[in-house]
Amino acid sequence: MSQPEVPTVIFIGQPNSGKSTLFNSIAGPKAETSNFPGTSIKHTHSRVAIDGRLVDVVDLPGTYSLCTSDPAEQVVLTHLFSERPDLVINVIDASTLSRGLELTLELVELGYPMVIALNMIDVAERKGIELEAGQIERRLGVPVVPTIAAHGRGVRELLDRAFDVLDRGQTLKPPRFSDDVETPVAEVERLLPAGFPVFSNGRFTAIKLVETAGHACGDFLGEVEPGLREAVDGARRAIETDRGAPAYEVISAERHHQAMKLAEESSRVLHGRRMTWDKKVDAVLMHPVFGYVILAAVFVAFFVIIFKVGNPLETLLLGPFDALMAALAARLGDGLLFHLAEGLIQGIGGGVAIVLPYFLPLLFLMAALEDFGYLARAGFLLDAFMHRIGLHGKSVSPFILGFGCNVPAVVSTRILESRRDRVLTSLLIPFIPCSARTTIVLALVAFYLGPLWAMGFYVMNILIVALLGWIISRFLKEPSPGLILEIPSLKAPRPGAILRKTWLQVHSFIRFAWPLLIAGSLVLSLLGYFRADGWINSVLAPLVVKGLGLPQELGVTLVFGFLRKELSLIMMLQALGVDYQSLMTVISREQIVVFTVFVSFFIPCLSTCAILWKEIGRKWAVLSVGLSVGVALVLSWAVRLIL
Amino acid sequence: MNLLDAPHGTPLRVVDLAGGESVRRRLMALGFHKGDIVVLEGQAILRGPLLVRNCRSDTTVALGRGVAQKVLVEAVHEPA
Repeated sequence: MSQPEVPTVIFIGQPNSGKSTLFNSIAGPKAETSNFPGTSIKHTHSRVAIDGRLVDVVDLPGTYSLCTSDPAEQVVLTHLFSERPDLVINVIDASTLSRGLELTLELVELGYPMVIALNMIDVAERKGIELEAGQIERRLGVPVVPTIAAHGRGVRELLDRAFDVLDRGQTLKPPRFSDDVETPVAEVERLLPAGFPVFSNGRFTAIKLVETAGHACGDFLGEVEPGLREAVDGARRAIETDRGAPAYEVISAERHHQAMKLAEESSRVLHGRRMTWDKKVDAVLMHPVFGYVILAAVFVAFFVIIFKVGNPLETLLLGPFDALMAALAARLGDGLLFHLAEGLIQGIGGGVAIVLPYFLPLLFLMAALEDFGYLARAGFLLDAFMHRIGLHGKSVSPFILGFGCNVPAVVSTRILESRRDRVLTSLLIPFIPCSARTTIVLALVAFYLGPLWAMGFYVMNILIVALLGWIISRFLKEPSPGLILEIPSLKAPRPGAILRKTWLQVHSFIRFAWPLLIAGSLVLSLLGYFRADGWINSVLAPLVVKGLGLPQELGVTLVFGFLRKELSLIMMLQALGVDYQSLMTVISREQIVVFTVFVSFFIPCLSTCAILWKEIGRKWAVLSVGLSVGVALVLSWAVRLIL
Repeated sequence: MNLLDAPHGTPLRVVDLAGGESVRRRLMALGFHKGDIVVLEGQAILRGPLLVRNCRSDTTVALGRGVAQKVLVEAVHEPA
């Protein structure tokens, strides 16, 4: 059969079903995977050739059901309903089969061609459950393939079955609800007016109308005309009178029971629940005492390792660049060429020798924690503390991601259900010291004043985030809806996945930030050559000299800090005309602290501003900038007074 | 009784999900329904969230106290 257009295949599954891992093994390492519910919030498209056939594969964020008001999950609805895919690959976590099947049943009702990947079959076996894929296949009319995505097992067969469905089509067998639900639904289906935007089939549309009436997630069905509205309300009332519960709850319960029955029919318990390694580890990780000891240890270890790895590496890497500079200075004198070379070398050197030694270990550890599934546990442990600042445990993951880079952290606030929580979390994230600022703190404060000072800096920073959260939440009165957070099972860390995620981040640094760093460094060199930096410095002098008590030359570096925070450090050295080792000859310890505090807090970097604008709107983005400038000024003055 | 008053480590049957529609929908989407058997497996300090395992699907969720209060349960005596 000839297929003129490239077919679209979407991957859909509940969070933590291993969907992105499976997607990666098919589409190549493009989608980020992690072990926190709802982290792949941006969907990933790629066009791949499999056995010589072109296919557009789309990885969607994990979703628990097709009836959701959570913005991250609504992306899924948009995809399903407005960009009708040719095939759905439904990924189920075999170890939590019965819950996964609830989404599957909704997909079977939807009736698009589909294939099921019964993933993490090894985890189910570890739990003592043997699954019979054939049973699910017979009952639903959907090919079911057991897979272990992390090892690539079953992927070949999954693709074969997928192509088979694409070529030959299939007949799905959606299970029927009880008669007292099915009859009113059929009535709504019968009354659907001609021209009503039917999704896939009349029954699915009718079910969704009844199920979502009056709820935000019904929006995609569009305006319902009065006549139909009456029929839908009638159906809902009929169900509610019969069952004594809201229609959405009755329908959800029907699926729940269908799913449990199907799961029971298709699984065989091999042995009783054993104490598996992850349960034992979990008992300690979430213990009311040890849990917090471990949490604190993780944070301390985090920074100690970065300092122990980053610091020696930095010294090692800086040497050749300094030597090169000295050689060039002797050769080229003080002309334009020298200034250009100097800018170039400091830009490249800055990237290699200052940023990567700190950036790399931080990103690697972050990826490891994420993959292991620690973030959700941290959310559980810190929920009570987050309540004090008007949030709850689900915000912990965006905050922790913020230590890596604020931009993805702001994007990840989409996992929060209420807009209020998203706004508050997004306003606080720019105050979390991202890896760029960690670079500055470690390179300046830790290097010149000692690790304890750096630790103190972080403690102060976290207290400030808490204080700001407490203050802002006074103004956002609307109560937070409370924590409902899935704790996914722990995964043995997979070095491949961790390295891949680290590489993704490093890659985006090399592609976007490094050129900017080099260009910025060149511009600064040229400014120096043409004596234009003096002009910028004198404009900023009242702030820099009078306000902060810093050398006037540092004015221009603040401008570059807005582009990217780590630029400030390199620019600082260049503006003062010294190399890193001899910084203390021109600037005092107090000035280093003031500079670090000011640069860390003042204005989120350009990319963060842009993402704030996009995610929470201009008003809040402007407020965020104002807030950072205010906090930076107040803090730097305070530090000046104290030191 | 609600989950806050329920004993830890013994099977409990969910008899009702109280609270607003969005909370109930969320709980149901995560696989918690009336009639399910759950076990309380832990609690964070300082009136922190409860750790609730659904025995049927073997999934675990952390529920904040406000949410936990809305899940009404009764003790069951037969093994889960």
